[in-house]
Amino acid sequence: MALIGVVLELALVVTTMLVTATLVIVGPRRLVAALREFRWRMEACALPLVALAVVLFVRWSTRDVFQRLERRVLGTNITPYLFDLERTVFGTNPVAVLQSFQAEPLTSFFVFSYIYGYAFLLLFPLIAYFALDEMNSLSTLVLAFTANYAIGLVCYVLFIAYGPRNLDPLLFDGLLYESFPQARLLTNQVNQSTNVFPSLHTSLSMTVFFVAWLTREKYPLWVPIAGFFAISVALSTMYLGIHWFSDVVAGTALALISVYIGHNYTVEEILASVRAFLVTPFETGGKLDR
Amino acid sequence: MDDGGPPLTRRELVAGAGITGASSLAGCTERLWSQAENNGPKQVSLSIKTVPADDDVVAAKILSQLRENFRAAGIDATHEPVAEADLYRDVLLQENYDVFVLRHSGLDEYDAVRGLLHSRFVSERGWQNPFNYSDVTADEHLETQRRTDESKRTETLRELFEYLETTAPYTVVAYPYQFGGSRRSLDVSRPPRRLVDYVDIMSREGNDWVDDRPLEVGVYGEGLTQRLNPIVVDRNRIEGLLELLYDPLVRRLDDEIVPWLADSIDWDETERLEAEVRLRDGLLWHDGTDLDAEDVAFTIEFLTDTSQGEVDSGVPAPRYRGRVTLVDDVTVVDTRTVRFSFGDTVRPVATRVFTVPVLPEHVWDDRSTVVADRRTEALVTDNEGPIGSGLFSFEESTADTEIVLDSFDDHVFRRTTADRPDLFENFSQFDGIRFQIAPNPGAMIETLVDGEIDVTVGDVPTDQADTIRAASDVSAITGRTDAFYMIGYNVQHPQLSNPHFRRILSRLIDREHTVTEFFDGMAEPATTYSSLFGFPDEDLEYEESPSTVVFPGTDGELSIPRVRSLFADVGYRYENDQLLE
Repeated sequence: MALIGVVLELALVVTTMLVTATLVIVGPRRLVAALREFRWRMEACALPLVALAVVLFVRWSTRDVFQRLERRVLGTNITPYLFDLERTVFGTNPVAVLQSFQAEPLTSFFVFSYIYGYAFLLLFPLIAYFALDEMNSLSTLVLAFTANYAIGLVCYVLFIAYGPRNLDPLLFDGLLYESFPQARLLTNQVNQSTNVFPSLHTSLSMTVFFVAWLTREKYPLWVPIAGFFAISVALSTMYLGIHWFSDVVAGTALALISVYIGHNYTVEEILASVRAFLVTPFETGGKLDR
Repeated sequence: MDDGGPPLTRRELVAGAGITGASSLAGCTERLWSQAENNGPKQVSLSIKTVPADDDVVAAKILSQLRENFRAAGIDATHEPVAEADLYRDVLLQENYDVFVLRHSGLDEYDAVRGLLHSRFVSERGWQNPFNYSDVTADEHLETQRRTDESKRTETLRELFEYLETTAPYTVVAYPYQFGGSRRSLDVSRPPRRLVDYVDIMSREGNDWVDDRPLEVGVYGEGLTQRLNPIVVDRNRIEGLLELLYDPLVRRLDDEIVPWLADSIDWDETERLEAEVRLRDGLLWHDGTDLDAEDVAFTIEFLTDTSQGEVDSGVPAPRYRGRVTLVDDVTVVDTRTVRFSFGDTVRPVATRVFTVPVLPEHVWDDRSTVVADRRTEALVTDNEGPIGSGLFSFEESTADTEIVLDSFDDHVFRRTTADRPDLFENFSQFDGIRFQIAPNPGAMIETLVDGEIDVTVGDVPTDQADTIRAASDVSAITGRTDAFYMIGYNVQHPQLSNPHFRRILSRLIDREHTVTEFFDGMAEPATTYSSLFGFPDEDLEYEESPSTVVFPGTDGELSIPRVRSLFADVGYRYENDQLLE
């Protein structure tokens, strides 16, 4: 099956990148030590990991339900607004401007960033923070990822938006699927063409970058690397004609919110406040009865 | 109860702030009110819907051009991409659109415009008058053409199309050629699209090397396996798939009527038109049940009212509706004979009703339950594991990756003894058909180049042509169809109710330029009166050519002064480059 081929290639390239980066940035000694004591580390960040797993599971298992909710019940098609907004603000759409620099090596670079760079960017910090002596950074990152997905999911149900390549093939090129049509097999597994606002590629990449900045004392070398990849991914989403400039801006904002949540809250606190929120009405009801 | 002075609540605080704010802006409010009451002319605004480029890149390009031309003409045009199945819902079921651009799969006979435009269908769903068009003169022509015989009918049709050109409820841009690819060693003449094309490929002697494996067919699109219901319109589907599963009484092959489930048709034209249809012997459904006259009569009645009398005015099936309205009455004479009476319809028109797919009564009879307002079980069912009587039976489908069809060995045409059409001579060199579904045309072409599929169906965008031509074991194939790209107008929109306005809009696309630029020349532009309404052939002669095809500009570039004078001529005004209502 063609999908398996694409996945294997992705796994091979990303694993190579991860191994190299781990050796250089984390160092073999620290990694071995971390693996030896993996038990308490897992326990320490079990809750955020479970939260992330739950959100991912909900997203995966309810794809059909969400698609129906989005397209038939709740969703508003905001594509015309995004297009006209950027037309009013910029005149020439930023995506079209980026695409005017179109060149073969640049396309290859951005395709690489969008697919391999992105996967690497998301996976590497999990390894790196796992190797630290405290699990704070890992918890922050995982909780921020969770927030990204959860908020992103809500946006996707509320907004129907098609990317530039889908709206207007005369103004924008669908470079990703033109140069690498098989990529659609992969992206179809994770996403639909109506889910572009905000760009989760941007928000997750930027989240990694912002968390890298927060932990810059632990891994100073990781900050510029994460920054380079995150900005490349954000630019690639536009260069490849997948996202609007607005999606990237909204994605960056989502990253800031998510990192704020990840940094300042824990899963326990969030659960407690949700519980408090749900319980309050009952208590008020009780008081009225008296 | 609380006693003592209540603390200031948040609501009070907001209200207070509101009052303070409002009074401080008192001077401004006068202006605000007078502006709100100003009912002066506003800019004409239209939203245009079409599918995203993933679904149909040409439709998206036409819309892009149209949007720019509308804007250049001073219209506030917004562009809304809507996924194919959702667009069908918006246009055909909910009539929730201003202007749409869609690829129509083609009209079977001139009478098909009656279903599209007659005012009696205004409140119906599907391709039954989705424009809300209602015009007494058009109605008269539409009625007359189905009643009058040959020479008179041609005359009526000519008048009809000339009249429609002046009122423009919809307009056709171009007729695309079909383009695709096939394995070089396979003998294929054109991309398959209808049942006969599949039969043709599968019975070519040159293909006998395949030795009883399924024909591997490549398609692309989303949601293609989700619903195999033959009577609904709001779904993506593989073109021609349902023809493989469901047989009609007769099929139209290159303007020739070929009896299919029907063995013979005896016409009686002495008074009102009647036809006695005799079914072939030994017809079976895919589940082994006998197919008889009851099933045929049931199909016509069920398509007329899927609630079977539950709902007073009936819940007609949105598909095949125009054809079913030709029938006055249908009666079962014996197990193999059905009598149709048509009233004052002429034979070529009446024959259309025999091309609807026949449905098994024992499956669909239970689907008449009313599930919502104007909706029955039959219109919402996914029809999983469809049971038909066609040459192929449904085997299995995997979500969005494949659909497998088996050879239906009990079909009469698979018996060499049967009196069957010539095209079945060497049928079949293959054992069944497997549709492999790719997410986009590029991925489909890769499966072709890699040798995983034999042939592509569906429209391969012409920008993929080079990949097909460059591959060594692959040949490019082209064919003609009646499919066309159309622009439809919702007549309920205040401006679109004006025929002069619609006619100018219909001119705002340069058909010749569209064909060279967006189709790479692989299409015919609509240039005659009848071709502007879905009939590409030149059976009807006209003395002059229609004005709709004259684009006010050159090489796709709109001439703003020219378009402004067109609008001015029909009473529109401009202010600050905006076309006013």
